[in-house]
Amino acid sequence: MNPHLETFSYDDAIVRKFMLATFVWGLVGMLVGLLIALQLANPAFNLDIAWLSFGRLRPLHTNAVIFAFAGNAFFTGAYYSTQRLLKARMYSDRLSAFHFWGWQLIIVAAALTLPLGFTQAKEYAELEWPIDIAIAVVWVAFAVNFFGTIARRRERHLYVTLWFYIASIVTVAVLHIFNNLSIPAGWFKSYSLYAGVQDAFMQWWYGHNAVAFFLTTPFLGLMYYFLPKAANRPVFSYRLSILHFWSLVFLYIWAGPHHLHYTALPEWASTLGMLFSVMLWMPSWGGMINGLLTLRGAWRKVAEDPVLKFFVVAVTAYGMSTFEGPMLSVKSVNALAHYTDWIIAHVHTGALGWNGLLTFGMVYWLLPRLYQTRLHSVRLAEVHFWLATLGILLYVTAIYSAGLTQGLMWRAFDETGRLQYPDFVETVLRLLPMYWLRVIGGSLYILGMLIFGYNILMTWRSRPATLAEPTVQAPRLVPLAAPVPALAPARSLWGRFADAAWHRTWERLPVTFTVMVTVAVLVASLFEIIPTFLIRSNVPTIASVQPYTPLELAGRDLYIREGCFNCHSQMIRPLRHETERYGEYSKPGESVYDHPFLWGSRRIGPDLAREGGRFPDLWHVRHLEDPRAITPNSIMPAYPWMLTADLDFDGIQRRVDAMAMLGVPYGDALTRAPALAREQARILAASIEAQGGPPGLETKEIVAMVAYLQRLGTDIRRIAPAPATAPAGAP
Amino acid sequence: MRLSDIMAAAGLAGWAQAALILFLLAFGAIVIAVLAPSRRREYDRASRIPLDDDHPVTPRERTGDTP
Repeated sequence: MNPHLETFSYDDAIVRKFMLATFVWGLVGMLVGLLIALQLANPAFNLDIAWLSFGRLRPLHTNAVIFAFAGNAFFTGAYYSTQRLLKARMYSDRLSAFHFWGWQLIIVAAALTLPLGFTQAKEYAELEWPIDIAIAVVWVAFAVNFFGTIARRRERHLYVTLWFYIASIVTVAVLHIFNNLSIPAGWFKSYSLYAGVQDAFMQWWYGHNAVAFFLTTPFLGLMYYFLPKAANRPVFSYRLSILHFWSLVFLYIWAGPHHLHYTALPEWASTLGMLFSVMLWMPSWGGMINGLLTLRGAWRKVAEDPVLKFFVVAVTAYGMSTFEGPMLSVKSVNALAHYTDWIIAHVHTGALGWNGLLTFGMVYWLLPRLYQTRLHSVRLAEVHFWLATLGILLYVTAIYSAGLTQGLMWRAFDETGRLQYPDFVETVLRLLPMYWLRVIGGSLYILGMLIFGYNILMTWRSRPATLAEPTVQAPRLVPLAAPVPALAPARSLWGRFADAAWHRTWERLPVTFTVMVTVAVLVASLFEIIPTFLIRSNVPTIASVQPYTPLELAGRDLYIREGCFNCHSQMIRPLRHETERYGEYSKPGESVYDHPFLWGSRRIGPDLAREGGRFPDLWHVRHLEDPRAITPNSIMPAYPWMLTADLDFDGIQRRVDAMAMLGVPYGDALTRAPALAREQARILAASIEAQGGPPGLETKEIVAMVAYLQRLGTDIRRIAPAPATAPAGAP
Repeated sequence: MRLSDIMAAAGLAGWAQAALILFLLAFGAIVIAVLAPSRRREYDRASRIPLDDDHPVTPRERTGDTP
């Protein structure tokens, strides 16, 4: 008998908690997704209620499915597998509870603040600064708990799943902190520390790596644990899984700039991002093949076991979306796909297929084990599988066609060399049947989710009266007294290197290992980001570009509050069809005062980078009040409350002060911003009234919004000798 | 003088390439280490770790770290 043998138990209660949260938030996030899908198919679903309009709910949907659904799913699998892989109970039950309740509170805070319009306007980083601080605190608690467990482990070798967890935990912390640095201008308002190109670069370094280290590496960790468990055989090639890991760590972090092709980002950064994205194809497919081949000789089981069915389709979806990602990062493909629904289809292949199905498979495998009973119904799980798979197929087929259709219509020229579809709304109308098809596909997926919930409930009800806490015995890990003896006397330097004792040593030293991963991530990030931030020649300044006036700044904040950037880009690419449609392409120097940048990533409506002066002031008032009164088939939500809500003039000073702290030269607005804003509002309201509009708008939010829209993209025209007249009849 | 002026004057642009090459070398070293044939048995053992926990109360003698 081993004298070091210890008896201990695993904490499965925390796993059960996270599992239920995964289901609840998953359902909520998907229902919000269904609502916004309906809003795109028919704008009446916006109901003219401010906190239910598309621009405010879209970030709620993305945050809910990423951080609430996928986040809780990762924690479920991580708490279950970490304890077993390390043969140790979690370091601290209190930290586990703090992590669980803290994370759920953050989700509730997000669900309350996003519909109210509190947002930082950066995709997947919309939550305002107090919530960001809470996220950092909870994440650190999770990290302490996780690394504490590693320190007390009874299994020397860290299985590859744990490597993926370590990389995820460390990198998400780094990404979250750097992208959210901002100057507060009140409890629920802040301005990004960075502006324009730099903010865009930082945001998409974050955005891309959030996909990588929140939706990919944690779930790969889960795959490398739960797939072998469900198939009851080791992973096809452990060696390949290690290569998979290191390639992702080395490559992913450089790939972010592919979100900014043809924008005002320096070209070298964009090309670098493209190259590393294309290289990512190899490890991703290596990983997919590794997962699928784990089932070699066990394919018969796939026919019988819904868990394996979910896993097989999930891993296939991982392969599909990671094939498509590098393809989309190629500049010429990106020129067609960017700003269209193609990207939406791409992310849903990944989210619904990879993250969703892997989560479902994992939970079906966990349910009988965690509740110490049988799964209520294998047949219902099969039904869930087919509904989900069919739902995904309908969803992505519809939205791929929508993306290609719109991309091709935008760039179509007729035989006279003019845009074939100059009216933007024409390109939107063509998509509506596909938007309805998406509603059907999404509904099927949600129907599967409801059946899933029923199965969870019935399994839970058949649990024993008291759940036993699994007791385990394992020998204590004795410190290595002496270094590992060399396997064979190395003949040469090369021989010693190739014995790879150094890599083996790393794998046993989690601290060193974590430091190495962090260094790899940080060095790559710094060398990619620093040049854009600090080398001035990358962002040539334009003398005529001036800061927004206090009223325009207030209007910009309303534009952010309503989430206009979710549908309207402000970045005209130097492509002929774009300059024909929208005007002169956007320059890096134009957004130097944009804290945060509002370039956008999707054009559900037209680009607004040169919107200023295109239409009369009254046009904007009427259009915001009721878009369909101006453009009959528009799918834009109406914003009637902007005509009745009073603008907070006194709060403008605080906003101007925060901007000034960021180095924006505000001049005399520093002392009398509200007065300047009132003066500009009075003139603008008079002009609206003179054009035949309603009187008395000078104190309303709408004047600030119109002032901002009329300013957009006009600065560079000031140096042009003769400003071009607004094209009549343009969308 | 702003930080960006100092950084611009320092001429650090070339270091990005240096970092890239160092990265490539480090990655190459890892690939060689991972593919080293001497590790086969160790990997076989490691790949079975997830399958080890289904016998919760059956103690196992440690096999040690050397393969």
